[in-house]
Amino acid sequence: MVRILKADNLEKTYRVGKVDVPALRGVSLSVERGEFVAVMGPSGCGKSTMLHLLGGLLTPTKGRIIIDGEDLTAASDAKRTDIRRRKIGFVFQRFNLFPTLTADGNLRLAERIQGNGGGDASRRREVLRLLRLEDKMHHKPLELSGGEQQRVALARAVITQPAIVLADEPTGNLDSDNSAIVLNMFQELNRQFNQTIIMITHNPEAAAACGRIIQMRDGHIV
Amino acid sequence: MNSLVTSNIRQRPLRSTISVIGVALGVALVMLFTGLARGMSNDLQRRSSNLRGEIIFTRKGAIQLTSSSTNLSMKYVDRLRQIEGVEAVTPVIRYIYPSGSVGVDQIEGVEWSDFARMNNLQIAQGRGPEASDELVIDETKAKRNHPVGSSLKIFGDKLYRVVGIYTPESGARAKLTLASLQETLEAQGKCTYVLVKVKQSVDPIAVAKRIDQELPGNNVQLTRDVFTSVESSIPNLGIFLRVLVGLAAIISALVVMLAMYTTITERTREIGILKAMGASRSYIISEIEREALVISALGLVVGFILAVAAGFFIHKATGLIFEYGWLWALTAAMIGLVGGAVGAFYPAVRAANLDPVNALAYE
Repeated sequence: MVRILKADNLEKTYRVGKVDVPALRGVSLSVERGEFVAVMGPSGCGKSTMLHLLGGLLTPTKGRIIIDGEDLTAASDAKRTDIRRRKIGFVFQRFNLFPTLTADGNLRLAERIQGNGGGDASRRREVLRLLRLEDKMHHKPLELSGGEQQRVALARAVITQPAIVLADEPTGNLDSDNSAIVLNMFQELNRQFNQTIIMITHNPEAAAACGRIIQMRDGHIV
Repeated sequence: MNSLVTSNIRQRPLRSTISVIGVALGVALVMLFTGLARGMSNDLQRRSSNLRGEIIFTRKGAIQLTSSSTNLSMKYVDRLRQIEGVEAVTPVIRYIYPSGSVGVDQIEGVEWSDFARMNNLQIAQGRGPEASDELVIDETKAKRNHPVGSSLKIFGDKLYRVVGIYTPESGARAKLTLASLQETLEAQGKCTYVLVKVKQSVDPIAVAKRIDQELPGNNVQLTRDVFTSVESSIPNLGIFLRVLVGLAAIISALVVMLAMYTTITERTREIGILKAMGASRSYIISEIEREALVISALGLVVGFILAVAAGFFIHKATGLIFEYGWLWALTAAMIGLVGGAVGAFYPAVRAANLDPVNALAYE
């Protein structure tokens, strides 16, 4: 097995006014390539902070993160952005698609940001087939259902073949039917592309679809 | 093109239209003002170039751009005629008066047959002026609804009949008899200047020097030097035009900056998404700059169309002449584009520096 992510003793403290508020208090985590990991825990336990740290959107107060052999914590802001572009795909609870672009436009934007303007046609076909989006490509987000929007967001996250997909409650805004469809898609991506996924969820059924469950409480992994 | 730039412009039509109009107004202002200066200057030069008399003899300061004096004694007419090298002379009164549409207009009093002969003017329709209430006009003025037989009001309510149309255009567009204008201005025995034609193969500069020696204390100038460009005749016009250009650039930059700043605020969350997707600072700046440049380019096109259309209608209504030069058009284009790019830069840098987590949480 190849280790794709390693986080050592991560700490993150926010400064609110004159008060230090610890969000993570020494989290260590190791994820192998192809793993599908669920992160669960009550609100405010530090799940999202950990995900933002792993994705290079935040820098830890202490600790170290290695993503696919690259040290995220030692990198400059520009380098972290570069690592995020090449190695990380995000999926958010609120889909976060660009409303002015079609589904196809959202995917092509991800390819352009990665510096691959033309895109990988075969990868694109595979992803769209797998996520059953072939006939939705020319629709704008507001013309799609929540489940379809989240599938487009998922396609956008994986179209550039990231080392790891970080999903922040991807079924949190969906009804149970659409949640099941989207979870099924995550599983398909994990199985067929050996895609590494870390998914925050409150939903035990969603967590059950994952290969491993990490529980967090008060800034710790328990 | 399914890009953020074009989709954002299409998605926010009101914001895009206001921005385009802002840039267009700056561009149109530059084009109209510089076009007017150039048009009036060229028109004046065109008309003065049709004067065949090479020398203008006048009192110092008698001919200004927007005023003239009738203070030259007619006794100089005969004395000029006797100077060696002079072929013909003809006295002219140039009178500048307030005009409703243009601001000022001018009329000339001439001894028609002498003046026409010296300057090769032909009567295209009608005849030359004879009586004190008669005048002739050029074809440009005739086109503005002044046919032969019509009347023109000059000096308040005084009516003059158009008895002829002459060609080519030369000096003032309306000419009446010298005697009539002398009588109206109560300037018997006076004129504004004497136009001097030198003999063929004689150097006009040498004749001018001779006149200056023989009739000192007056102003002797070559015709080609008197009616120089308006731009150089009006003090500080060049500075005014440059200030105008600078203001237009600032307006364009401010409009684009405001529009892009509003856009960035509206799209804070989208910028957060871009950052989460790994978009670099330079990528975000370039996206915003490209959007500003597309808006500016559209503003340029609209500005040019606006300037040409406004120039056409102003000309129709007032007779003011607009001539657009490539150099000023290029300057206006640079103002629009550079103004837009500079205006968008601050919002673009601000967007690029947004914290991605805060931006993603923006409602």
